[in-house]
Amino acid sequence: MKIAASLCLGVSLLATPSFAEEISVGLAAPLSGPQAYFGNTWHNGFKLYWDKLNAEGGVNGVTVKYNQQDDKADPREGTLVAQKFCDDESVVIGLVNFNSGVAQSTLPIYEDCELPTMTFGSNPDLTKQGYKFMVRPVANDLANALLPAEYALQKLNAKTAVIVSDKQVFGQGISEIFGTNFTAGGGQVLDTLAVAPTDVDFTSVLAQIKAKSPDVIYVGAVMPQIALFAKQMHEQGVTASLMVPDGGYTPDFITQAGEANVQGTMVAIQVPPMDASPAIAEFAKLYKEKYGEEAGPYSIYGYVHGQILEAVLKSTKGLSREEINDALHVVKVQTAVGELEFDDVGELKVAPSYLYKVEGNDFKLAGSR
Amino acid sequence: MLGTFIQQTVNALTIGSIYALIALGYTMVYGVLRMINFAHGEMFMLGAYAAFLVLTVFVGDIGAVGAFGLTLAFFGAVIAVGFFGVGIERLAYKPLRNSTRLAPMLSSLGVSLTLVTGVQILAGPQPVAFPSFFPTTRYDLMGGTVTSVQIGILVAAFVLMFALYTLVNRSRMGIIVRAVSESRPTAQLLGINVNLAISAVFFSGPLLGAAGGILYASYYGIMSPTMGAVIGLKAFTAAILGGIGSIPGAMLGAYILAFVEVGGTALLPLITNGVLGTEYRDVLSFAILILVLLVKPAGILGEPVSEESMVYKREF
Repeated sequence: MKIAASLCLGVSLLATPSFAEEISVGLAAPLSGPQAYFGNTWHNGFKLYWDKLNAEGGVNGVTVKYNQQDDKADPREGTLVAQKFCDDESVVIGLVNFNSGVAQSTLPIYEDCELPTMTFGSNPDLTKQGYKFMVRPVANDLANALLPAEYALQKLNAKTAVIVSDKQVFGQGISEIFGTNFTAGGGQVLDTLAVAPTDVDFTSVLAQIKAKSPDVIYVGAVMPQIALFAKQMHEQGVTASLMVPDGGYTPDFITQAGEANVQGTMVAIQVPPMDASPAIAEFAKLYKEKYGEEAGPYSIYGYVHGQILEAVLKSTKGLSREEINDALHVVKVQTAVGELEFDDVGELKVAPSYLYKVEGNDFKLAGSR
Repeated sequence: MLGTFIQQTVNALTIGSIYALIALGYTMVYGVLRMINFAHGEMFMLGAYAAFLVLTVFVGDIGAVGAFGLTLAFFGAVIAVGFFGVGIERLAYKPLRNSTRLAPMLSSLGVSLTLVTGVQILAGPQPVAFPSFFPTTRYDLMGGTVTSVQIGILVAAFVLMFALYTLVNRSRMGIIVRAVSESRPTAQLLGINVNLAISAVFFSGPLLGAAGGILYASYYGIMSPTMGAVIGLKAFTAAILGGIGSIPGAMLGAYILAFVEVGGTALLPLITNGVLGTEYRDVLSFAILILVLLVKPAGILGEPVSEESMVYKREF
């Protein structure tokens, strides 16, 4: 009797998934620590879009469940999370890893278990390793470090630059690309300095830079290092123009460094201004209504990733990991940041990038491409 | 060139002063209890958070804090953290005092994790902007730039270290502490209140650490729950370098470490013609630490190992 009962139970358990049209999305990003703000607000953008779709009954009856995990911006944590997603049969697509360094170690794991991912890490090398199950729905560092270099040479009339990097996959990668573009455009890189990712004191590095008096300083690092650097740079009386990557695009950058210390600092990021188009303004309004605060720097991309997933679910032949991966690679979708489609390595065909200048306690658009 | 030299010297003195304030806590605890208090880095962090709490709760608007508010926040915070340190010793270390040498050390690791996680839960994991305790003014000193904040840190650190030095060498309490640190059983036999001496150490160590934390947070402009980890390790290194257990040793070790770090940043790329960049700074500082320990295991000013201070293998 017992055996019969458990057999029945077993059969009913096996049968259930084909009726329940629900899939899980694995969400991984730093949700605690200094970069928590980026991870949380990115995921919130995604949830904003899908909470609404779920409430309306999903796409063709398929609803989405979130499996949200904290990778702490740490490659070791990231790989544990990746394994968790792989082992969970209900997870059929991942929206993973805000940090390039984390993505570097998790992508092989996702590739092994054939779990398709939308990867947010922006280091160019990530798409050069032949992964079949990843796409990158955001501009990579090649685009992000090109615009600042062009702007420095053409608009700021800069001739010389000093580059500082934190020696991490992202920081070193993007600062090397900046250097290459700056040199290719006729500028001269006077020196390349490295700091440790845990450093808080940049006074001795700044004293070295001051002696070289460059026109531009490019800092390839993340928060809070770039805020500390900006503050100490101003206090030490270094007058060069400071350029930083996307990590600086947060109100924290201005409050932690002090408003007076970051005036004129250039910040490059893939995110358009929140009033750039009616679709984006609408998103910003919805976000504020739902979460009671302004959208984070990457919330719009979470929203766009939601739109991509919607298009994928509309066009996919089935809900297996493989079928979703096939649909993901050929998707062509009109999103809040424009029409997006992927090339054969999973990179965006047209990737928007923007450059902002700090004025007062706000970011003003200075250029885009 | 001279400007850069002066600049780097001031930079090194500033960092060294903060290291020294924290290193003193490690060395004093080791002096009386022969234990490494791993939770000491967290006193540094708590100092900054306590001062911030006093400023926001009791003084009000962070932007317009007067001199009185700042003084209140500084002294309120360091004294609170001092008593907190005494409380931790009573709760987490005293019951283990006659246990193995390893037990209180593990207990201090536990305290450290608890404090970091507690602050993360209560105050949030993000770094928080910290108000500057001195208005930032730049002074030009023969081509180098010195800020009022750096001068403030130097003065505050020297005053605190001088006060501690006087207390230890010129007061009755100092004599008691020194007696206990020389030999606890003998001091006890002579009728000295050992618990009082230990409490005094656990009051003044965290107090100095907290002062270091406030100076640090107002110098760099931010504080975070994990800020004590790296700086605690550096200060611990400084204490070992100078000779753990020795108060002048901790101060000396801190300044040596700071000068090696800053010198490493400034000179490594020059000397090696760019082969070794600034990222080798920590490699250099820790290589020097290893070298000193190989030549003089007790540290620069450490006393030769006596039977009392010797760490026996069986104790672990």
